[in-house]
Amino acid sequence: MNNTMTISKEKRRSRIITTLIYIFLVILAIIYIVPILWVVITSLKNDSTLMLSPWAMPEHIEWGNYAFAWTKGHLGTAMLNSFIVCSITLIVSMVFGSMAAFAIARLRWKLSKLAMYYFLIGMMIPIHTILIPLFVQFSQWHLSNTLTGIIVPYITFSLPITIYIMVGFFEGIPNELFESACIDGCSVYKMFTMVALPLAKTGFMVTGLMSFVANWNELLVAMVFISNDAKKTLPVSLTKFVGPYHTNYCQMFAAIMIAIIPTIIAYVAFANQIVEGLTAGAVKG
Amino acid sequence: MDKLMRNKKAIILFIAPALILFTAVLFIPVCKAVYYSLCNYKINYQPKYIGFKNYVMLFTKDKTMAIAFKNSIFFMIFSIVTQLIFGLILAALLTNIKKGRNLFKNIYYLPCVLSSAALGLLWMFVFMPRLGINQMMASLGWIEDCTMGPEWLFNTDGFIILPIWVISFVALWQYVGQSMMLYMAQISGISMDIYEASYIDGCSKKQSFFYITLPLIKPMVATAMSLNAIGSLKFFDLIYNMIPEGFLSHKADVIATHLYTQAFKFSKLGYGSAIGVILLILCLIMTVIINKFVKTESYDM
Amino acid sequence: MKMRKILAGILSMAMTAGLLAGCGGAAPADTAAPAADTGAATEEAAAPATDGDVQEISFMIWDDLEASEDLITKGYKESVDRFNADFAGKYHCTPITTNLEEYYDKLNALVAAGDTPDVFIASPGANLNDYAMTGVAAKLDDYLDADGWKQTFTSDAVFAGGTYGDEGGDGPGIYAIPLNIAAACVFYNTEMFEDAGAAVPKTFSELLDTCQKLQDKGYTPITISAGTAWCLSMVAGYLCDRNGLNLQDIKDHKTDWKDEKVIKAGEQLQELSQYFQKTAAGDDNDVATAAFYNGEAAILIQGSWAIGQINGSCAEGFADKVGVFAFPAVDGSSADPNRVIAKSDSLCMSAATQYPDAAIQLIKYFVDDTASKYTAEIGGKIPVTSVQYDESIAPPELKYVMDVFKNASSTFGFYNESLADTEAGSTFDNCFVEIFKGEDPETALDPIEDYYEMNVWE
Repeated sequence: MNNTMTISKEKRRSRIITTLIYIFLVILAIIYIVPILWVVITSLKNDSTLMLSPWAMPEHIEWGNYAFAWTKGHLGTAMLNSFIVCSITLIVSMVFGSMAAFAIARLRWKLSKLAMYYFLIGMMIPIHTILIPLFVQFSQWHLSNTLTGIIVPYITFSLPITIYIMVGFFEGIPNELFESACIDGCSVYKMFTMVALPLAKTGFMVTGLMSFVANWNELLVAMVFISNDAKKTLPVSLTKFVGPYHTNYCQMFAAIMIAIIPTIIAYVAFANQIVEGLTAGAVKG
Repeated sequence: MDKLMRNKKAIILFIAPALILFTAVLFIPVCKAVYYSLCNYKINYQPKYIGFKNYVMLFTKDKTMAIAFKNSIFFMIFSIVTQLIFGLILAALLTNIKKGRNLFKNIYYLPCVLSSAALGLLWMFVFMPRLGINQMMASLGWIEDCTMGPEWLFNTDGFIILPIWVISFVALWQYVGQSMMLYMAQISGISMDIYEASYIDGCSKKQSFFYITLPLIKPMVATAMSLNAIGSLKFFDLIYNMIPEGFLSHKADVIATHLYTQAFKFSKLGYGSAIGVILLILCLIMTVIINKFVKTESYDM
Repeated sequence: MKMRKILAGILSMAMTAGLLAGCGGAAPADTAAPAADTGAATEEAAAPATDGDVQEISFMIWDDLEASEDLITKGYKESVDRFNADFAGKYHCTPITTNLEEYYDKLNALVAAGDTPDVFIASPGANLNDYAMTGVAAKLDDYLDADGWKQTFTSDAVFAGGTYGDEGGDGPGIYAIPLNIAAACVFYNTEMFEDAGAAVPKTFSELLDTCQKLQDKGYTPITISAGTAWCLSMVAGYLCDRNGLNLQDIKDHKTDWKDEKVIKAGEQLQELSQYFQKTAAGDDNDVATAAFYNGEAAILIQGSWAIGQINGSCAEGFADKVGVFAFPAVDGSSADPNRVIAKSDSLCMSAATQYPDAAIQLIKYFVDDTASKYTAEIGGKIPVTSVQYDESIAPPELKYVMDVFKNASSTFGFYNESLADTEAGSTFDNCFVEIFKGEDPETALDPIEDYYEMNVWE
């Protein structure tokens, strides 16, 4: 009798605690979602109604704000540029990175450990430090104001993490697989393409995701290297469109929406994979 | 097999592209940055060697640098402490609920993948006197009208000014999801057997959190801490977009924005390089400290 | 072993160069980018021109020619379009656009890269110095003298901002062609003034009285932006000048920034600041000027480019309510109260241009009769050439500004653009923002004093 009483008391207490936890989590979720919802709502208003009641729902939906931001704000161009830059960076850094990782993890040479440390040091160097020398150098090479001029540093900064993660994956492949490939008469290049690469798919997903997200959102390098409106990437176009021109707020909100919508869509579709992938990458880093 | 794997040509071919790119675009520029930092180098002129003058100037005369340094260190401490606390709390809460864990997790993680530039602008609008929070406070009757509310992004009183606090919280909002996920990943890696054993020994959930979970995730604390420390030292996007250029007379500058202004607004490439070198040294120091400090402790137990 | 290492080192360097060069040429990025590529433009320009070739020149400007709602910018776009149409098949101009905030950074980047735009816009003062004194901008006297071009301008005085002595990169001469003149004036809402029984002030104490009357009537007397520092700095510049400060004396270190005239200007700014809108510290220029255009505030101290905005985007009939007066004199000061802050957009030609003829022709299109008429009648700025424009079409404010300008004994530049360099200008702006926020002028001026101590007076 006494025993059951305490159990039900315990149960009630834990139920209250669970409810409190949920209330806390929901409030927090609201803090995360409301600002973004506010942007959505405001981006569909016009300025005159915005100033009167910034938090009210729009009376007439103004799609024109989006059209303005897309064309006059150069966000359409910018999105294309961002996509080109991120895709090329992704591919090149994966190819170069996995090749180097294979050499470090599988090939036998004296300096492989040293090479690994060399790349690892790169992870600690903030891009700010090399911004000025790169700016000077790329100016002389006529790479400033071209997309190539930002792709090259992006690849370089994606390399260390790519190599580090891929080394982990390649080292995890059982030696027997390579030995049997060797008996089958595979060359070392075939071993890389036929044995190592197919077994490191997860590694590619993780590193690819990290590099794409980081470069899609990168502002500083792109801002320093790109002068021409036609070459700007998304974060730069957004910054430079919203900053000085904000006489029409609703159009600015539409611009912000355009900038984050692709990421949100991708995120909603693949949230679990993205979160797990990025976390796996960060854990390893 | 062994012979195959010692193929010199293959080794060079595999390692060369990454190595060369890395050396040319990262390593050589770092050396150059160190050299430029010892020069008087204005854009469109030739660099002129002046020894440590830039550094002397930075540390003794440059008031904005002092402010930027103070703000950056504050950001770093704030983000290390708050991310640790909130990240752990969220991770602990989320591992303990059954329904909706994924949903909440994904919501809190969302800002991590969004562009800081866009989010910075979003929050700038939220804190604008005539537009966001102050308007809401006014319509709720908390303040007389929107111009009377707190000057979120414009008040420059106090040792750590209000805009810095505001931006710190926005950064916490954006990145706490990452810390949370790191801790969750580690917690979910802990074998259930240990917990079950502890419950049999009469441990409460709270006790098991402090005596089992915390000690076991210590290595991850080191990882998360160094990510936070370096991330907050490099902090640029949010602040650049939340405080318009030239506002607040550089009182809300951090090291990265100071570098940007000096090098690319005022064309002082040598001086900017000196700031960059200091930032590099800070990052290295922090990585070493955190890894030494937190990791060795975890070996002790 | 050592030998091999060295060899490997040399090999890797060579490969790097090859790789990067390969990237530059092969990356599809360049071709995929939809609009004009300046890199490609210069490459094209570098090829020797034969008869049938179109001479391609670039023109860099600080506003987006397509999206801007600024009437002056729209006029610039028209000039470029006319140039391209009239010289189709012979010359072609591709604009490079950025926005004002980043304009000089980006121009510097192109100059550093050896890709200086053939024609670029600049403000006389510290910014122009960077180009005129380093040989980036070409000396233009020969072109001006060639076919009586110089005589189309109202006077030689309009070239003052672009004229350099021996310090000019290519010797003494003119390095920039002015396009128009904007004068900083006080715009006021005549309705509010009438309602408050306020008169147009002639002196600073009258200005304070006027503001008090407006405030008693419930109006916001002055709208200004301390967030966008140059707006406040315009007032600070006027106050310094009206108190008799001579910038040359400061430059020559005959006096310093702690001069009592500067301190006095600071104190007067603090007096005046009680009449600013409450959010002045946080408002940027757009927000502050909007408050005047929306009829929330009675006075706006602004450059005459405001006319273009009043004309372009304000409610119908608002333009008729706007009056203009010159910044008042300071009581008891012996300084000339008729000096006016003026600023002219000026064009420079790159000293390295392949096609000087095309570049000069383009510049001429910016100051020909069509363009100058537009400047006055629609843009509301003061034209630099002696063009006949229709005063009845031109915005009424232009006439008031012209009156102020004609009465001016002499002009001076924006303070932040007239100091030793851009950083000095920005430091000056920030000092006065601090003063506005209530810091004692004596200590608030430390940064600019220190800056001159370290960088200018040596």
